[in-house]
Amino acid sequence: MRKSFVAASIAATLALSSLPTLATSTQNNASQQSWQDTLQQAKGQTVYFNAWGGADNINDYIQWAADRIQEEYDVTLKQVKLTDTSDAVNRVLAEKAAGKNNNGSIDLIWLNGENFRAMKDNNLLFGPFSQSLPNYMTYVDENARQSLTQDFGTPVDGMESPWGMAQVIFMYDTATLSNPPKSIADLLTYAKAHPGRITYPEPPQFLGSTFLKQALYELTPYRKALAQPADSVDFDKITAPLWAYLDQLHKVAWRNGQTFPSSSEEMMRLLDDQEIDVALSFDISAASVQIDKGNLPDSVRSYVFTNGTIGNTHFLAIPYNSGAKAGAQVVANFMLSPEAQIKKQTPTIWGDLSVLSYAKLPASEQAKFDALPRGIATLSIEELGQTLPEPHSSWVGALEAEWRKRYAQ
Amino acid sequence: MPLKHAKWITGTISLLLVFPVAVGLIGTLLPAFAYFPPLGEYNLSFTPWYNLFAQGEFYASLKLTLITGIAAPLLALWFALSLLAWGYQRPFFQKIEALLSPILAIPHAAIAIGLLFLLSPSGWLVRLFSPWLTGFDRPPNWITVQDPYGVSLILALVIKEMPYLLFVMLATMRSIKARESLQVGQALGYSRFTLWRKVLIPQLYPIIRLPIFIVVAFSLTVVDLALVIGPNTPSTLAVTLLRWFNDPDLSMRLMASAGAISLMLIIVAVLAGWEVAHLSFSKLSRAERSNGKRFGLTDNLLRLGVVLGLLALLNAFVALALLPIWSLTRRWRFPDALPSQWTWDNIERATPLLMDLTLNTLTIALIATLMACVISLVMLETKRHSSKVSSLSKPHVFDWLIYVPILLPQIGFLFGLHVLLIYLNLNGDLCAIIALHLMYVLPYVYLTLKGPYLAYQEEYLLQANRLNHRPWRNYLVVKIAMLKPAIFTAFAIGFSVSIAQYLPTLIAGEGRYSTLTTEAVAQAASGDRKQVGSMAMLQAFFPIMVFWLAQFIPPRWTRWRLVLKNLFSRRNTSCSV
Repeated sequence: MRKSFVAASIAATLALSSLPTLATSTQNNASQQSWQDTLQQAKGQTVYFNAWGGADNINDYIQWAADRIQEEYDVTLKQVKLTDTSDAVNRVLAEKAAGKNNNGSIDLIWLNGENFRAMKDNNLLFGPFSQSLPNYMTYVDENARQSLTQDFGTPVDGMESPWGMAQVIFMYDTATLSNPPKSIADLLTYAKAHPGRITYPEPPQFLGSTFLKQALYELTPYRKALAQPADSVDFDKITAPLWAYLDQLHKVAWRNGQTFPSSSEEMMRLLDDQEIDVALSFDISAASVQIDKGNLPDSVRSYVFTNGTIGNTHFLAIPYNSGAKAGAQVVANFMLSPEAQIKKQTPTIWGDLSVLSYAKLPASEQAKFDALPRGIATLSIEELGQTLPEPHSSWVGALEAEWRKRYAQ
Repeated sequence: MPLKHAKWITGTISLLLVFPVAVGLIGTLLPAFAYFPPLGEYNLSFTPWYNLFAQGEFYASLKLTLITGIAAPLLALWFALSLLAWGYQRPFFQKIEALLSPILAIPHAAIAIGLLFLLSPSGWLVRLFSPWLTGFDRPPNWITVQDPYGVSLILALVIKEMPYLLFVMLATMRSIKARESLQVGQALGYSRFTLWRKVLIPQLYPIIRLPIFIVVAFSLTVVDLALVIGPNTPSTLAVTLLRWFNDPDLSMRLMASAGAISLMLIIVAVLAGWEVAHLSFSKLSRAERSNGKRFGLTDNLLRLGVVLGLLALLNAFVALALLPIWSLTRRWRFPDALPSQWTWDNIERATPLLMDLTLNTLTIALIATLMACVISLVMLETKRHSSKVSSLSKPHVFDWLIYVPILLPQIGFLFGLHVLLIYLNLNGDLCAIIALHLMYVLPYVYLTLKGPYLAYQEEYLLQANRLNHRPWRNYLVVKIAMLKPAIFTAFAIGFSVSIAQYLPTLIAGEGRYSTLTTEAVAQAASGDRKQVGSMAMLQAFFPIMVFWLAQFIPPRWTRWRLVLKNLFSRRNTSCSV
């Protein structure tokens, strides 16, 4: 079994390098052959998919995918709903501690950033596999976005397969607010004029950490240093403007900066309760989905900052000790199909951005993407504007530790 | 129970109790001293401890943990005693008793979410008075929940613990002959509160000491309640530890293990302090208790406790009543006191999951609790046997061992245990979940049953055996039958403990078996009150049923049994004729 993966990955690497056409086509045949092997092995396997389970619409989407995969590939996909992705990382680690190197309990994890780095650095992942998935080879353009090959600055190296893209958006209620603050500096001005109406999720919740990164990006004069590991640069000097900013913001923040919301979902609830004026999300269609469910008034709209907001890619990875690696690859490949990606980008389903290259799609699939409806509060790709890159993944931990030291004691 | 080989049984059960705990402990202790092979850490050192003590957040969290973890059980005990003294054997109090079970049964997270909605600045209390009285068109910028001193957390803890203490106290009333003492005392002219204070509470306390210790340990280590309604900058130590354990930077785990060990030491220290405080308090108050005065100023403390206790109960009921409303809500904005749009969608969406979750939940809870009841009876009988010669109040080895699972913080200890399950290839297995549940259910069942069981007048059984020597049959139809109320109560408590287990289910089941609770907490993570409302309702239904049955069945058992017996014997005779 392992041999065929090695063969597949070698074939894929070769196929992707710029060899003469003839050689490529033979290699393609070889990789097709090994993909057939993978499909064969996958038949009848059960894939335990550990994915954050906090949003109904995403769980429903995964259930839809499970039904499709069952009928097409005879692979059973079971979602294990996590409250925190690091639970799954810990579980793989516990299994390694116990020497359970085969038939581990997790076959597929939805992750990115720090969790990916932790698993990759501790050799907890199977791979490389993603670059040999047929749909990856056909539809993904690695040059389209840096975040496809650099997950928070950690090289992906085929150890995880892209699933979707996210970008920070802000939400406000047009009924109470006509001109929302469109930069980090404006946000403070607004908070001073309207005390208690601005807040952000509590780091280390990932959206909270992202807010810190967004603020740092806009405030620091040393933007370039953010691409390097945090311990290789002068952290104090680079982040000084951020802390000065937060010191001011917290004085006029929601509940005087004594407590912070725990997640984007809680922020939307607070927006609906009118406790706060601006909510954040990493899900561009969050506002439309929540309006549809009756959790937000239909006067809520999304917007982004004038100079862009932070965006990233989220991935699927296979633990090194999975007992259903073939099945997991089949799932990862299905998730990259135009069918699955179009469904996922449908705002009323999930609204998560596709990772496929529009240019590489056949015209018929392009037309389907063009025909996707948008929710009333969802921004178009053009409106989303510029995506700011994630800083190197070491910044997350460093910023969180410093934040907790300053504001959580 | 005609037990043989009492020593052998003691040994086996002790081993079974100790083994998983020891493994879990070692799995936490070694990383605390920097031995953790999966991360390539092989050299024992004190580095994790240095790191822990260098964390400012450790001290801040610790302070908060001590404040909430000591204040909550003190208040809960005070309120529970006051309520009992005030209402015991009064007709209306029995209605309150029946209402206690929902609070006992409903999972902590759901209560916390209900309270959060009741008390927050955009919550139902403020909505009720806005804008006509307060003038608020938008919620005020107050800090009424998740306050930095943990007042709202203490309230949530009291609401959860007071009913448990009351329940346990009511189960022991018969064994301390409360009614007789009250009659005699009142005939002598003592006021009700004075009588409780001077006579009954001092008798009651030693019997319920163990449940009180559980409550203290629970307050110090609770995770889900503190996550929802506790402050988060800093959070309590248990929550901080959980965050460290879950940190993507895996080396944080070493420091977290050291923190878990220190949390265990803190529990021991607090319990020791609690005992010392109790001893000195009863010494100091001995003179006052025996001065013969029929009334006392301190009676007012009990009176105040009644008022505050009732207020806390009222809070809980309103919070619980609001949850089902949410599950039918489509739109409900500030400052509306009731939803503006209603819908069945939320419940409809939850229905398909229901069958699956219910099946898992009930299978686990029923098997684990039944096993716990049987094992508890064997343990108690063994204890009775082995302490026949010496005094019954002398602690048996079980009385120490039984504490261990509930006194150890779940977060540190279950990770070590998970490694054991993987070695045994039992991870993700239903048996593993039941075993882990049993580990947490057994102590509650044992401790609830212990007082009444040991207080049982063995003469009844002796007499029955003299009349007709069939020890097993007599044990069942005389002793067990007489202990029915206590056993049913223990079963109900064990059942609700099992239903509420979150971390053990998740860790042993690896998410492959979802229960109503794991699903509800996963939903609570999203902060969606509609979902949580539906889930909490479903989750509360079964424990409430069992609690209700535990109170409903015992007094009617004999009547039903006789009716059935007559029915059958009549039928038999008619057949034979």
